[in-house]
Amino acid sequence: MTALETLLPAPLDLRGYRAGAPQRAGALTMVPIWGPERPGIVPPRSGLKLERVVGYGQVELLNGAREGVAIVPLHIGYIQDAAQNHALCSAALMGAGQTRRFDDACCVQAGQGGYLEGRDQWFFVLPVELRAKALELRGHHDYAKLWPDISKLNAACGLPSRGHLEQILSRKRATLTQFQSRLELLPGQLGALFFVGDRFAGLELAPDPVYFAEVWMALVCFAYGVAAWRAEPERPPAAPYDAGSLAELRAELARDRAARQAEVASWLPAPAGDVRLVEEERYLDLRLSTVTGDGLAGQVVVEHGRPVYASLFASR
Amino acid sequence: MDIPTLLQHFRTHDAPLVLSRGGDLAWDDAELHRTARLSDPEGYALLALVLGALPWQRARVLLCTLAASQDGLDERTRAILAKVTRALMFGLPPAYAVTALLALRRLRVNHKHATRAVVAFVLEHPEADALIEARRPALVDCFEHALGKATARGCARLIAEGDTGSGRLRRSLLRFTSDPAAAIGRVRALYAPGTYGAVAPQEPPAPLDQVGERPPIVTPTNRGDIAATLVHLYRGGPAAELRPALAGYVAEATRGLPRLAGHVAVVLDTSGSMRGYGDREWAVMSQAAALRLVLAEVCERLTVIETGGVCERLTVAEAGGVCERLAVFEVAATAVEVADAAVEAAEEVVETAEGATDLATRLLDALDARPDLVVIVTDGYENVLPGDLARVVATLPRAGVTTPVVLCQATFTAGDDLTLRDPAPRLPRRPFWHQDDFAGLLPWLFGHCAPGRDWIRTAMLSRLEGRLEGRLEGRLEGQLEGQLEGGLEGGLEGGLEGGLEGRLEGRLEGGRI
Repeated sequence: MTALETLLPAPLDLRGYRAGAPQRAGALTMVPIWGPERPGIVPPRSGLKLERVVGYGQVELLNGAREGVAIVPLHIGYIQDAAQNHALCSAALMGAGQTRRFDDACCVQAGQGGYLEGRDQWFFVLPVELRAKALELRGHHDYAKLWPDISKLNAACGLPSRGHLEQILSRKRATLTQFQSRLELLPGQLGALFFVGDRFAGLELAPDPVYFAEVWMALVCFAYGVAAWRAEPERPPAAPYDAGSLAELRAELARDRAARQAEVASWLPAPAGDVRLVEEERYLDLRLSTVTGDGLAGQVVVEHGRPVYASLFASR
Repeated sequence: MDIPTLLQHFRTHDAPLVLSRGGDLAWDDAELHRTARLSDPEGYALLALVLGALPWQRARVLLCTLAASQDGLDERTRAILAKVTRALMFGLPPAYAVTALLALRRLRVNHKHATRAVVAFVLEHPEADALIEARRPALVDCFEHALGKATARGCARLIAEGDTGSGRLRRSLLRFTSDPAAAIGRVRALYAPGTYGAVAPQEPPAPLDQVGERPPIVTPTNRGDIAATLVHLYRGGPAAELRPALAGYVAEATRGLPRLAGHVAVVLDTSGSMRGYGDREWAVMSQAAALRLVLAEVCERLTVIETGGVCERLTVAEAGGVCERLAVFEVAATAVEVADAAVEAAEEVVETAEGATDLATRLLDALDARPDLVVIVTDGYENVLPGDLARVVATLPRAGVTTPVVLCQATFTAGDDLTLRDPAPRLPRRPFWHQDDFAGLLPWLFGHCAPGRDWIRTAMLSRLEGRLEGRLEGRLEGQLEGQLEGGLEGGLEGGLEGGLEGRLEGRLEGGRI
């Protein structure tokens, strides 16, 4: 266990958070995080409901819980058959029983008609390749605003250059969802650092382990899994350790693992320089802010100075 | 004899035996079969009975066993080979068996045991009448090669003349068959003109692999009784009802299996991915736990080392158990007692089925226990850290470790994509997803360690002398009796009276047979 504040000093006060041993799946490395829990936040799968799509670019969500504020995860999106899939550009705070319409949502499936309905609550989080742009476009009322970037991503994946995110998320789902098993969610885990190759990709924190477990698949398979899938490395040949006995082999394995853990720590971004936090909304003592600058972007929810939720990602 | 290599070959090499019109016999793995048979004729033949061996491989074993001399073999071994031969002949689709028997002629093999086998096939096959009708030339070839052309035709002539038991007929033919009356009728049919376009039977009369029907749509609870019951237990079902049933299912699955006189260490992946999620939750874990229960029942000593990130436990069990608690049982504990306690251990998996998978370290732990065999049971997702297991496995020879290590891969269905789920490509690996898979999996597993050779031999002999033989004999007798009672005898007699005899004589005179 390593104290996270020493690894990732700013812009969040991460005192009390601890990082565990890294896990790896191909190009994707995940460092689990444990830390202080903030009970009472409504999680997105069991509490938050997609109510309906009012019109293209207009998504209505409901905090269906009897009590507790819901934190809408940053860049959450929904996919249904025969409907225009949508994703949100920003996180949000919603009181118990509250319905809220997001007019700046993105259509992520160019040319597909039909509205999402309040039935299938399967959700994803936008791939990290699209997140900086989506965050930048929050507040812009143009349902087609993300199509050019989706087209570029599709082309980079060797797929037809169209604004259809479904080409990746649905058609490659069998491969992408394997990341959920290739990396294991650990007991009590409420956050994670993600790296693709040797580059920092994102930091995700949830109010508690239940919340994190509900966004785990969307994060590991889609938010970061797409980039990792694109960078899946060739499997290197298994080089034997220089060990002449079982005891020596055990020692070599431990030494090698320690070296690789240290290597992962070296991939963390340097202490933030010109990073700005701009408050977007508040609910009682919860403050939702947008973070930008120094190659980092995302949104955080802070309560009394302590992070309750964070979704920060590399923006370049 | 390299049992793992042979079993793998038997399971995967599906090339047919080819008999060309020019008389050549072509099979690309003749040397592998020849070497294996030479080193252990009985063990080699018994391996063909292992569940999952392909029909063409079984046909090769049949051919090799019949083609080889039995000089120097004791009576017991000869008797076993005769039983294996019979099981293979009647356990193969008839076309495969006919090809193997025809190959004997091409190889100019003429041992007494081969003669008995060929005569038994031609004259005692449960569907001999249909086979003779459809494959007359081939069967006549086999028959005449077995007895000798002159002898065979002489017997046919005697039978056509009405001989049903003369000394000459007994010496030449009837001593090779257990049912002279049926044999006489079939020799008549063999030398009859036949019917153009008759369709030969395709299915084996006594299939060697009695595998239950695999479900077209796989769910967590239709993959065998043990796993299904475990899934219900894991989901919180009533233990008072499920646990005794589970013990019974384990006992049923292992009934008749010998004990492995050795020490097996199992590295059991109990990580979150083994637990699964959604509709498939517990499916993979339950099947892995089912294997653990079966191994606990079959192995004299079993060490189970779990890896799941948290609550990793080393549980050593002796006397057929899977956890420390089982130490209270005597060696002679009943199957139900052992299975019941094993169920408790399996249920604990619920509490630990989460976390990351450290297969590499747990393999080293397992090797420290100095077992005869290490079995890694996992879904194949290694995440602390991927590649470690492969490197540790690659180092074992250098570290002086000769203990065999194999990987059993738990999957949800037979069609799972395993591309990203092979943590150590050098390790022998075999997937399993259904309880029926255990019948082939256990011989494959145990074939990798020294005590396994005796286990396979005992298990296959038990199979041969038990269900297999009973099924075959039952079906043969039943069919023959039914045919006879149903008028076969009368029909044959009628046929003879109606001109069959005359036609046969005519053909004999014309030199066509």
